[in-house]
Amino acid sequence: MQRRMTWKEFCFILPLLLLVSVFSLYPILSSFSYTLFDYQTNNQAKNALYTAATLNTMLYVEDCDYLVYYLNKDIPNVDESDRATLTALVDKLEAQKAAYANSEKTISLPAATDQEISALIAETEQVAQSYAEKYPTLRIVTKSGQILDEMKTCLISSNFIGLTNYSRLVSDDRFGQAVGNTFVFTILSVSVELLLGMALALIMNKAMRGIGLVRTTALIPWAIPTAVSALIWCYLYDGTSGIVAALFTRLGIIAAPELLLTTAGGTMFGAILADVWKTTPYMALLLLAGLQVIDRGLYESSSIDGAGPIRTFTSITLPLLKSSMLVALLFRTLDAFRVYDLIAVLTKGTPETLSIYAYKMMIGQSNYGYGSVIVVAMFAMVALIAFVYVKVLGAELIQE
Amino acid sequence: MTTQTAIQPDGPDQHRRIGHVFMWALIICFICINLFPFLWVLVTSFKPVGEIYGAETAFRVIAINPTINNYLTVVNKGILHSVFNSLIVSGITTLYVVMVASMSAYIIARIHFRGKTALMSLILGISMFPQMIIVGPIFNMFYQFRLLNSYWVTLAYSTITLPLAVWIMVAHFKQIPISVEEAARIDGCSQWQSLWKVIFPMAAPGVFTTAIMTFISAWNEYLLTLTLNAEKDFQTVPVAINTLRTQFSILWGEITAATILVVIPTLAIVLLFQKQIVSGITSGAVKE
Repeated sequence: MQRRMTWKEFCFILPLLLLVSVFSLYPILSSFSYTLFDYQTNNQAKNALYTAATLNTMLYVEDCDYLVYYLNKDIPNVDESDRATLTALVDKLEAQKAAYANSEKTISLPAATDQEISALIAETEQVAQSYAEKYPTLRIVTKSGQILDEMKTCLISSNFIGLTNYSRLVSDDRFGQAVGNTFVFTILSVSVELLLGMALALIMNKAMRGIGLVRTTALIPWAIPTAVSALIWCYLYDGTSGIVAALFTRLGIIAAPELLLTTAGGTMFGAILADVWKTTPYMALLLLAGLQVIDRGLYESSSIDGAGPIRTFTSITLPLLKSSMLVALLFRTLDAFRVYDLIAVLTKGTPETLSIYAYKMMIGQSNYGYGSVIVVAMFAMVALIAFVYVKVLGAELIQE
Repeated sequence: MTTQTAIQPDGPDQHRRIGHVFMWALIICFICINLFPFLWVLVTSFKPVGEIYGAETAFRVIAINPTINNYLTVVNKGILHSVFNSLIVSGITTLYVVMVASMSAYIIARIHFRGKTALMSLILGISMFPQMIIVGPIFNMFYQFRLLNSYWVTLAYSTITLPLAVWIMVAHFKQIPISVEEAARIDGCSQWQSLWKVIFPMAAPGVFTTAIMTFISAWNEYLLTLTLNAEKDFQTVPVAINTLRTQFSILWGEITAATILVVIPTLAIVLLFQKQIVSGITSGAVKE
């Protein structure tokens, strides 16, 4: 029996919708909007999204007032020919005072007014400079510097820059490097995990006794917080007291123990090894679940038909395991692609993957605009990867 | 002829035996590699500082002068407070996520409505996108409402925990026959009552799996806490343990001792609830 939804039933899913909107959808949309701005939280003129220029009218009027006062004092002290210039300037400043005296504390301006005000400030500055030699004692020459600087901060221009951040991304070598690192890490770690996980799953599927013990030990690395296990590996890789580093040097895998945490190749290898250690068991459990639903009768009949173990694997196990394998691969790929904790803790950020680069940009350098572009690019790549997998899966995932 | 009959029953048997030995060797190998990092951390945690760094003693399995000083130091540094924080944050997350997920899964499993497929796709999509995309805006949001450095971070955990929770719950609620609910409705239960008094208890295994998976992923969360709760008083385990590593020195003795302490709750959960965890991991992976 399927019923239609009433408002009462809608209330049941309302909390879900609220949480998803506030903590997932809204932040995603915000990140997209950040990409269009030169948004830097450590810069006072850029620490919010200004679609239009804004003016701090109170301060601006006050500053105009000061300038008018200085100019009026100065006018009697200059030549007849220069008086006209100064009087004209006073008139302009008075007009500004009148225009903004009664408006709100901060207002947003149309683009034309924005330019008008900047032009006026520039003009005043120029007058002050050009008279500096002729009349070194004028108030407008000696005292206006500070006022003008303050006036400039009253006017915050729009930091909307359209797609400039995106074009910067295209020519950013560091971004290209991060994309390369992320793909190398993802592809290598996921394929090693698939191979080892498959072997482990096949063994666990065969072994009847002892499977409980294997399963328990398999769950431990998975259940430990990545940030903690990365710290453990950091100790094992340590150049002076790390046992894994010492062992690898002894075995000739690396030339010297300190290389695992200091060189580009070493850190990549180390990160992949730590990731493989942590998630292979998870992969194995996913694949094992797929193996266990395969009808045992199929194996019996294939062995009666004389198929060897390899033939059985390629003709029965693999095809029937395909969908669980793809689901496991999809989740592992996306998980590896957004890797952050592991590398951030293990080496404090090398090899620099996309997440690491984005986090350094946003939180480290407070450059939310450009950092968000990196994240949005990641988002697009994740969507593409998911799309490819789902195409292969034939939308089995979302089906009821 | 006689030699053949003597060998034939023996041959496959011997093959099988070699196969068995090989398989068990692999299994033991796997278990050793899996557990080695922990055992080594355990070994190190009892070593005095001099032995951890000494060239001769760094790789000894048993410390020459075993000590529990490392443990005392990290306890004094307040590592247990971060365990407490983690318990609070993960506990609250589990409670509200299980409630919200049950309510929505009940509707999704039982009622036909427009946009249901879209809703499920959206939830699946959320579990896939890179978490990094929400960090900046969430930080701004928490900054604006003055929620930084507080337990409110649990609400932000919904992004990483809710999708899986809803997914598991829907699968379990669907298995409960609709006739049970109809009987409850005839007996005068409202929808609210039939959810909490009939469906929810009947789906207890699924609820339990959801709760454990939610708890573990909240316990392991690093990125959001790192960004939103920079203050020591509100740091959870994954963040707090990394602050033991200072810029100039790495105190492995303290770090290993802290690791052992903070890993105990996780180990307890794994040992007690491994069935539920395996079911949680594999739900959705296998089509029935």
